[in-house]
Amino acid sequence: MTRVLAKAADQFSETVIDDEIVVMSLASGDFFSLTGSARAIWELIDGTRTRAALLADLAAAFGRTEADLAGDVDAFVAQLGSAGLLEPD
Amino acid sequence: MRTPAETMALIARETRSQPGAVPKHLGGHEIPGGNRLFALGQFVLHTGTGFGFHYRPGIGVSYTVDPGADPAELELWLYGSVYAAIACLNGLYPVHASAIADNGRVHAFTGPSGAGKSTLVAGLGRRGYPLFCDDTLLLDLSDPGRIVALPGHKRLKLTDHALALAGAEVLGPVGSGTGKSYAAPAAGSLREPLDLASLTFLEQGAEAVLDPISGAARFARLDDDHYTQQLYFDAQAPTRAMMFALRSRLAQHLAMARLVRPFSGEGFAKSLDLAEAAVRQFSKEPPQ
Repeated sequence: MTRVLAKAADQFSETVIDDEIVVMSLASGDFFSLTGSARAIWELIDGTRTRAALLADLAAAFGRTEADLAGDVDAFVAQLGSAGLLEPD
Repeated sequence: MRTPAETMALIARETRSQPGAVPKHLGGHEIPGGNRLFALGQFVLHTGTGFGFHYRPGIGVSYTVDPGADPAELELWLYGSVYAAIACLNGLYPVHASAIADNGRVHAFTGPSGAGKSTLVAGLGRRGYPLFCDDTLLLDLSDPGRIVALPGHKRLKLTDHALALAGAEVLGPVGSGTGKSYAAPAAGSLREPLDLASLTFLEQGAEAVLDPISGAARFARLDDDHYTQQLYFDAQAPTRAMMFALRSRLAQHLAMARLVRPFSGEGFAKSLDLAEAAVRQFSKEPPQ
């Protein structure tokens, strides 16, 4: 998969409160509170990384294997996509 | 950007009131009794209890009182909904809260009607903390580096039960079937704008407990204040992004906690201890 993951910049607002990132969908008004690996994934989705590159950087940051993280990353990216927070394929 | 002094002068000027005509229509909309309307930068309220209010920028408030209306209600409306509506139209953000001051900063207690906001600040007054406002706290966010709170009215409105709990001095009845009396704040009141330091959410429960609120929960709790937020929505029609930015700023700058408290006498004393501990702790923390 060579798709570069990118946020849909005009579809959300975000803010940092303590160690959490709060993201709100401007379309629905729904909130997401991101901590730990979810926050890291959100920050790594910067318009330069493919899924594979994101997995590699996340695995390095958390000292885990890419295989360990792949399922959670795919589920979270799918959730962000469903909420309209990522650029479509 | 306005200075706090300019904002105080603006509110004093815009809330001037005098008897005068109040329209039944505004901007092509009818305003029946029991309804309010923001339109054309103005505000009209017909209370359904015999009062009408019309605010126009630069002119102030005109009001009508129907024969048979309880005159004691006039002040309640002028210092309540009308005051908050004028503040909203002039870019201020109202919070349903009562507040005291300590060490040059403001500590506010918020919750729905009946949560005990006034009772708690009356009790803190007995411990030496001057009253900053009762029931409506106005915030001036025009300076991006500060959250400035504007001082409110100088009397508390308390039920007999609250008067007994707080040991407050009675000034006279509020009237209008409220079952409340005006009370003097034991430690006096302040007249100068000050920075807001903390916001504590009052809840009722069996045991008195103080819990700090951190992270995204601070952001989420700011959605609780439906009464005054609706006024702000109606007056300013903010977009979701604007409200997000506003709440984000408050969540980032203010210390927050929840104070769970029973309404018994013993529980009240303990909740006062906890509230005072929170004020002292938050006063020590540097401004965000």
